[in-house]
Amino acid sequence: MLKTDQHFFSRRFSQFALLLSLPLAFYISLSSGSFGLSFNELTALLLAGPGETTEQVILWQIRLPRALLAGLVGAALSLAGATFQATLRNPLADPYLLGVSGGAALGAVAALTAGFSATLLVPIAAFCGALGTLLLVYLVARAHNCSPHTLILSGVMIGSLAGALLLFLLWQAPTEAARQAIFWMAGNLSLAHPGALSWSWLWIGSGLILLCLHAPQLDLMTQGEETAANLGIHVGRTRFVLFAIAGGLTAAAVALAGMIGFVGLVIPHICRLLWGPGHRRLLPFAALLGSSFLMIADAIARSVYAPAEIPVGVVTALLGAPFFLYLLQRNRGGM
Amino acid sequence: MIQANNLHFAFERTPIFNGLDLHIEHGEILSIIGPNGCGKSTLLRLLRGHLRPYTGDICWNNIPLTKMSFRNLARQVAMVPQTTHVDFPFTVHEMVAMGRYPHRQGLLSLAGNGDDKAIQEALALTDVLELAARQVTQLSGGELQRVLLARALAQNTPVLFLDEATSHLDIDHRLELAELLVRLNREQDKTIVQISHDLDLAAAISRRILMLSSHGEIVALGTPQQVMTATNLHRLFRVDLRVETNPYTGTPQITPLVNTAPHKLDHLKIHLFCGGGSGRILLRRLHLAQATLSVGPLNQGDSDHTTALALSIPTIEELPFQPYSAPILNQAREQITKADICVIATNWWGEGNLDCLDLALAALDLNKVVYLIDPQQKNDFTEGRAWRKIEKLQQQGAICFRNEEHLFEHLQAIQKS
Repeated sequence: MLKTDQHFFSRRFSQFALLLSLPLAFYISLSSGSFGLSFNELTALLLAGPGETTEQVILWQIRLPRALLAGLVGAALSLAGATFQATLRNPLADPYLLGVSGGAALGAVAALTAGFSATLLVPIAAFCGALGTLLLVYLVARAHNCSPHTLILSGVMIGSLAGALLLFLLWQAPTEAARQAIFWMAGNLSLAHPGALSWSWLWIGSGLILLCLHAPQLDLMTQGEETAANLGIHVGRTRFVLFAIAGGLTAAAVALAGMIGFVGLVIPHICRLLWGPGHRRLLPFAALLGSSFLMIADAIARSVYAPAEIPVGVVTALLGAPFFLYLLQRNRGGM
Repeated sequence: MIQANNLHFAFERTPIFNGLDLHIEHGEILSIIGPNGCGKSTLLRLLRGHLRPYTGDICWNNIPLTKMSFRNLARQVAMVPQTTHVDFPFTVHEMVAMGRYPHRQGLLSLAGNGDDKAIQEALALTDVLELAARQVTQLSGGELQRVLLARALAQNTPVLFLDEATSHLDIDHRLELAELLVRLNREQDKTIVQISHDLDLAAAISRRILMLSSHGEIVALGTPQQVMTATNLHRLFRVDLRVETNPYTGTPQITPLVNTAPHKLDHLKIHLFCGGGSGRILLRRLHLAQATLSVGPLNQGDSDHTTALALSIPTIEELPFQPYSAPILNQAREQITKADICVIATNWWGEGNLDCLDLALAALDLNKVVYLIDPQQKNDFTEGRAWRKIEKLQQQGAICFRNEEHLFEHLQAIQKS
């Protein structure tokens, strides 16, 4: 299907475009919003460094952290999605499939309704909820046979259990807390606690490096458990490690920005369609594309109804779905 | 090389192996043959360590399988699986390169010096060099099998397991693969264990053949000449095969005696007594032979009732778990008057189905022919009443057959006369 010469994107060109997209998306993200900045103004402000003027405050204290956050969250979700799709051998897998979203939301909403809004406790609760649910799903599935089917089924079941508890919490929560919770669940990059950004760099960066080190194992895991074992993989241990890394990345993303859908599902697919399924290439490319994609989506979410913001999850789906369908049309026969 | 002692294994409650012993020698080609579901693949997976035997132990070069690391084992044995489907669109080259994984070292598992040579050689040997840039999702079944074989060869192991690796190959590639296996065995001293449905090819290239029965027992283990006999093959597959010596190779050659005109029993009107699955084989085979068939009485929900219903065979049916009532028995009696032959396939006797024997006795009085299939006194749970009736039936001219096969042969003889 992907014959370079026939294809609209040649492989080289598309890789070059991808590298270029990151600084481009970064600039777009910095310049857009209710307070417009031209390219020249932006460059001047960046060169001038942090300061006291309104423009400087907006750029250095509001937009820059937010653009970085969007990039980090986009990378984390894409990496986690690629990992789950490979280990579960399921093209529909996304970072939230194994109940992570339900657990994270439950944790965050519990913290919100208990009156801890706008504290570091909300992301911490979301993080713990996400990882806790993933661990529970893993343990339940391992008691049976830990096959991808069992994992997905128990993930969906435990996820809906968490969802039911979540609805109950929302039902009995005070109106203001419930409103905040719904805002959080739709995914929102403005919610991040300033303290969270500093450590998330380290966390998501090490997730990227650890996953890239596991690229050959991920390739083999796509071949099924027995084949992976035939080729010398300790399947149980490898799967646990990969889940732990991908779960950590997802939990961090959710803790930082709520539940942003679609990035983790569609970005790995796009990368696979363009550059093949080999994870040594796929992982860094997915991280790059996920970053650029979410930065641009966030820029659009902030600009369309400025000064109001639409949830960024709406934009990711509106942008991602048609582009993915277009790629699927061009590349019949593979996923 | 590989030593398996006293293996016991079962899936859920279906036992597969009961104390299997097998010793695979270094440098031999061993073919495993046997009917579907006899545990051939299970045996390979046990030997490879994917499944754990309930009891018994497996050693590779005198080291217990449980003590070997995954990577170490992957350097010992490569496996060509049965799969003909892949999900992820890797290129053929990437796919074959995966075979080098167990030989790679270090944190990054980077490709080493020998890797590229091994990959190229594997691609060339399996005739997929030209496909190297293609995506595996777009290959045909046979091409994919060759790619999977190439991956196993790239693994460069002293032992090679093949699970029906030739099932999708063209005749030319099948013969090439056979040659390749023999060459690898001869030149590189590779030990090869293969599951095969191609009996001729298995006979031609194997040093030894392991024949498994449908219950996972060893029927025969030895050279092709010792194992591939008409008797053994008939026992295994229940079809007639002619075994000759191939004039060119001197190995046994098997020709199935295919009856192109299927068995027809369309002149025969047969009524069948059965229950609890005892009629399953006869219902199907008599139905396929187009005999005029009726069956019953049977309780609804009985597995034979389900079979009869599925094949639209006229059935006299009673409610579930009820003894046969008088009107039902009358219906059955009426049905029997229309038949020429009554067959009693029932294999156990209780209060519930005792009446069937009276119906059969009545049928004898009406000059019908009555056949019994392998009646056993131990299956009589009516304190001897059923057995006395069975003896009476035999005294009055009912004929016993050892199994369905014998009855079927007899019915064919009647059809012809």
